[in-house]
Amino acid sequence: MKLELTKTLTLPTAPLGLAMRADASRLYAACMDGGIYELDPAGGEPVRFGDSHGSYASGCVLLPGGRTLISAGYDGQFLWHDVGKKSTFRRVQAHGFWSWQLALSPDGRLAASVSGQYLAGGEKYEPAPALQPTVKVFDTATGALVRAFDHPPPVLSTAFSPDGRLLATASMMGEVCVWDLATGQCAAAFTTPDFTSWGLIKSPHFCGGIYGLTFAPDGASLLCCGMGPMADPMAGNGKQTWQRWAWRENPPRLDSHIRDGDRGTGLMETLAHTPDRTAFLMAGRQAQGS
Amino acid sequence: MIPTPPPPGQCTPDDHRLHRRLFLRGLAATGATTLGSFGGLFTHPALAQAARRSQKNCLLLWLCGAPSQFETWDPKPGRPSSGPFGSIPTTVPGVHFSSLMPRCARIAHHLNVVRCMHTTQSEHLQAINLLTRGNPDRAGFTRPTLGAAVSAALERLETKIPNYILLDPNPEGNEFKEYKASDLTGWLGPEHAPVRLGGSYTQLGRAADGLSDDREARDALRKFFAKKYETERASRAATAQNAAFEKVKGLSASADLFDVAKLPEKDRQRYGPGTFGMHTLMARNLIEQGAPFVMVANGMPWDNHVFQHEIHQMLVPELDRVLHCVVTDLQERGLLESTLVIAMGEFGRTPWLNASRGRDHYPNAWSLMMTGTGLQRGVVVGGTDADGVDPDGRSFNEQNLFATIFTALGIDPHGAYDLPGFPEFHRVEDRAAPITELLA
Repeated sequence: MKLELTKTLTLPTAPLGLAMRADASRLYAACMDGGIYELDPAGGEPVRFGDSHGSYASGCVLLPGGRTLISAGYDGQFLWHDVGKKSTFRRVQAHGFWSWQLALSPDGRLAASVSGQYLAGGEKYEPAPALQPTVKVFDTATGALVRAFDHPPPVLSTAFSPDGRLLATASMMGEVCVWDLATGQCAAAFTTPDFTSWGLIKSPHFCGGIYGLTFAPDGASLLCCGMGPMADPMAGNGKQTWQRWAWRENPPRLDSHIRDGDRGTGLMETLAHTPDRTAFLMAGRQAQGS
Repeated sequence: MIPTPPPPGQCTPDDHRLHRRLFLRGLAATGATTLGSFGGLFTHPALAQAARRSQKNCLLLWLCGAPSQFETWDPKPGRPSSGPFGSIPTTVPGVHFSSLMPRCARIAHHLNVVRCMHTTQSEHLQAINLLTRGNPDRAGFTRPTLGAAVSAALERLETKIPNYILLDPNPEGNEFKEYKASDLTGWLGPEHAPVRLGGSYTQLGRAADGLSDDREARDALRKFFAKKYETERASRAATAQNAAFEKVKGLSASADLFDVAKLPEKDRQRYGPGTFGMHTLMARNLIEQGAPFVMVANGMPWDNHVFQHEIHQMLVPELDRVLHCVVTDLQERGLLESTLVIAMGEFGRTPWLNASRGRDHYPNAWSLMMTGTGLQRGVVVGGTDADGVDPDGRSFNEQNLFATIFTALGIDPHGAYDLPGFPEFHRVEDRAAPITELLA
């Protein structure tokens, strides 16, 4: 597959989340200045929404119909925006710490957010348990909390299954849970050590984790992405990494993973399938920003 | 000629070299002409008084890799240089710290912060050397580190605890490893080299537990430390068995202070589960027992070029907790009046984020904290411009910092070293001034 750059759009600060109208006529960006911006892919200046987050805006999702946008931020809040008026009509404190990532169910009825601060919990700096649920699911129409799950923090990524019945979450420690939204039970769980590093050389603690997560179009497998083990975590010099897990098998099985020759160094943070479902894309930040 | 080993159970004359020298120095200092015994040295009123006067200590929390000033002492809320963490008010009116430091914010009136450090080295090894030796390099000469200089100036007669202790659980550390393996004592000689310990101390515990007067145990311990020193490349301590053995003897007398199992569980919980907290707790106990200089490090974890916010969200709360505990404990025990506590790295971090959303090295304008003996409390010195790019007006460098440290400890910062055959060197060159508004 060949990718071609067709347009470069500029925002005041870096975006951490993007949403797009179904007809691709508008883009919405959640940015590091806390603001939400609307962009015309054809060009023109970005238009900033009236309200913003108290810290980085980390994600945004556009509800079906395109009239409401929900954003989440490192202030732990969910903001409901009227897209036409560019104003906020609901604000919910979802977490006591960051919303690391936000996901929308396929039918647009639920929005999920993952949180949790990495705090030292042991002599080797294992993450300390969270004091509140790290996974929360909200009704997008009312703002009501629908479900809350305890996944050991920090929980970095989340994704709904194609049928909207399941929610997958993944953490810095490579722990993945698949939650049944109807029962509130954990339907499957597995841990992969290949995204997490412990700093032998410089930093006696953990870092890395699964930054991106998505179900395969048939829901049978889960794709995870991040950075492979690092000799020096502070330099971020691990290899770009993805793994595909057959999560329904008992126990879940690693089905496939990136080949060594296919990757450079860097932290992969997002995954998306192509519309024809024959491939997926992975993107993120490269080591040292190079 | 190979010296004849002494009979089992007896020490070599060199085993007593340091104490004998100190003993003679003590006599000279007090004008005493005779003392009944070595033990009498410590009961002689004049010398005991002199020793008490000099009982100052220094605890250096070495934040290697360099923490971000924006996520600690100099937040810039609402500015592009600000990270994702907010700021909170402190007990000093008008002064804010990062929201990651609520405990320190509550005791800000006991702390001092210098927000206008300006240094010149932007690479780790050079900067670590600069900020621990206090003066720029001079080709052909190796300056002692702060711990060695303080060790030499404050060496204790009344305690066998080593004068200079470096607690660091990480045997690696990249540039910090190279630094640790370098000559840390310079012209002061190996007797002022640090006793360097870390981790679980299991090996030390076993060695110390087995220490007795029998020659086999002594030899085992001697070999253990000799091996430890030999692994530190280019260290003059590798050839200084006698100095090492003196340290061993001091350690054997204070082995419990290094025993993790003997740290009170309540204290362990307060200081937090990480090794940095554990070692700072040990440092508190060592200070309490008279150790003149203790340096606590934890590898080089602050160098967050890529995972800046992901790691600072953990490291800064740990620092906040540990600083709050140790400053409060020292204060409650009446030790803050005699102990200088410093928390610093080798430089700061950039006001801007790189393309990986990390912060890179930045010596141009950065912050540190120091409090305790000889210092005011609740003072914030200087500041930076709106985005933290430059000091806002005046700035201070490593020489000003060291002049402040030495002055606070009652040591002449501009005193010359006694180095026959050397050019003249001073503790702080160029008669650099201390940061006067910090001094009590």
